[in-house]
Amino acid sequence: MARLPLAPRQRLLAWDEATAIAVAVVCFIIPLLTKSVLVYSVLNHALIGVIAAQSVWIMLRMNLLTFATPAFMALGGYTVAIAGRYEITDAFLMTAAAFLVPALVAVPLGALVLRLRGTYFVLVTFVLSQIMQLLLFQTPDLTGGSNGIAGIPAVTLFGTEMISHRQVLLFACGIALIATLIAVALTRYFRQHFAAIEENEILSESLGLVVWRYKALGFVVAAGLAGLAGYSLVNMLLTAHPSSFDSAIAVDFIAYTIIGGRESILGPIIGSVALVYATHAFGTQGQYAQGLYGVLILVVILVARGGIVGTARLLWRRMRGPRA
Amino acid sequence: MEQFLQAAVIGISLGAQYALLALGFTLIFGILGVVNFAHGGFYMIGGYVAYSCVGLLGLPYPLAVLIAVAATAALGWVFELFLLERLIDDHLATLMLTLGLYLIVSNGLLRVFGPLSMEFSFPVSGSIQFGPIYVPRENLIVLGICLSAILALWLVLFRTDLGRALRALADDRQVAMAQGMRPKLLFPAAFALATGLAGLTGALVTPILALSPGVGDPVLATSFLTVILGGLGSLGGAALAAFIVGIVEAYSSVYFGGSIGALVLFTLVLLLLVFRPTGLLGREIRGA
Repeated sequence: MARLPLAPRQRLLAWDEATAIAVAVVCFIIPLLTKSVLVYSVLNHALIGVIAAQSVWIMLRMNLLTFATPAFMALGGYTVAIAGRYEITDAFLMTAAAFLVPALVAVPLGALVLRLRGTYFVLVTFVLSQIMQLLLFQTPDLTGGSNGIAGIPAVTLFGTEMISHRQVLLFACGIALIATLIAVALTRYFRQHFAAIEENEILSESLGLVVWRYKALGFVVAAGLAGLAGYSLVNMLLTAHPSSFDSAIAVDFIAYTIIGGRESILGPIIGSVALVYATHAFGTQGQYAQGLYGVLILVVILVARGGIVGTARLLWRRMRGPRA
Repeated sequence: MEQFLQAAVIGISLGAQYALLALGFTLIFGILGVVNFAHGGFYMIGGYVAYSCVGLLGLPYPLAVLIAVAATAALGWVFELFLLERLIDDHLATLMLTLGLYLIVSNGLLRVFGPLSMEFSFPVSGSIQFGPIYVPRENLIVLGICLSAILALWLVLFRTDLGRALRALADDRQVAMAQGMRPKLLFPAAFALATGLAGLTGALVTPILALSPGVGDPVLATSFLTVILGGLGSLGGAALAAFIVGIVEAYSSVYFGGSIGALVLFTLVLLLLVFRPTGLLGREIRGA
């Protein structure tokens, strides 16, 4: 098949992807600049949110809204927690395991649930995260049941225990950078494939695109990213508890992605950082943030479909005038 | 044997409550094609409105229930007419709108009433003995009202012009519109009918179970479970599935304890969604 000489396609990275990676890199500097507990807490939560929201975003690139993120986060998090019981704490090994275990589980699961589209996919992923929650309670020997697994040993990087606040945050930055690189690589390499599926799945299939292959790939990678988010969460709390992976938290990650903007990878990143910051700024009672998310979701869906990033882009274009 | 019968009674009374919730949920999906994530929110509003009428205004409980139904139906009508209607054919957008509404409702109730459970009890207590089993009076009353509401809903849907119009829109919107049915009038009415049912259930059930800002989440999960089992959009299926879910829950909590029953049901629903998305009594899936 002859390739059209489209200039944008040959670019290695689009500006937003380059910015996303740059933001993830810049995060490493913040723990070195300050010792503020508040900054550490906000940044650590935001970094976990960034990874989970990227997982949601990859699925949205194929027009699939997923509520299953907490289920795969639990798989990643509990993998690390259970390995900790056997004193396995090596950072590289555990990062790989936290990605691969959920990704491998997603292979057969994807074969089942990716047959569904639209509303039915939403429902099946909602059911999945409910099942995972119930499974955690039903398997006390493996997962500690309702008590969870406490006292997980800190991660070791090149033989050093990452135990201080700063080390934990630096490690979270590292995981977020890896996740961002994976998300960018996947969506850049298969940009047109995902765009075709998002635009019109049936049409792209009839034009010869093997849709299930890319959907399966997206689902597996999204599951792996969620696993990394679970690892980062467990590493921050040093506890794996069912309440950390409650199906209700899926709503937060969806909110980050939709409010940030679903059309660019910057969306989940900016959405996570902005909303996690807003949650802390609105008071210590994080529960009040849910109402804010609700209002923002309504605003985005009704008047600003592109979210923060899409609206900013639109305003930028308008300011530059019609020649753009 | 007594335990067995007692569990059956609990199961049937749970089933009737779930049926009211699921019928509303499936009505909205069948007619509007919208997955209503705010269904648990309307249930909670029903509970809190009834509580406020009884606890703060001192009104009699039956009147409070009626006000709760009117309030939730009105809110549903307004929400459909002014927000949902604008994006009615975009499945993901309507889903996100109802999700946003749910977050606002549950958070608003949390702010107004605080995180603790309300002291809200059913005005009737005591129990009636049927042979070896005891049935609490409150459960009997709720069961009676639920069954009457289901019957009333059936009469509205199958014996009135409004019901015929609503079912026509659910069957084939284009043809129904060509025949003169007006979605702009009927969609808000259908949504209000469904949210009113959720409000009714909330007003009836929260005094028996609990009333706190978190009670909407399990309601949503149960509604999902029930309507998928029954077949999305199928009214008969939803009613049947509601009683199955209620009875399974009652027996598994009596005989196994914990959440085994829920796990089995959810797994069953997962398989059903994948292999038979039309559910037990479902018809052809609408374009989702």
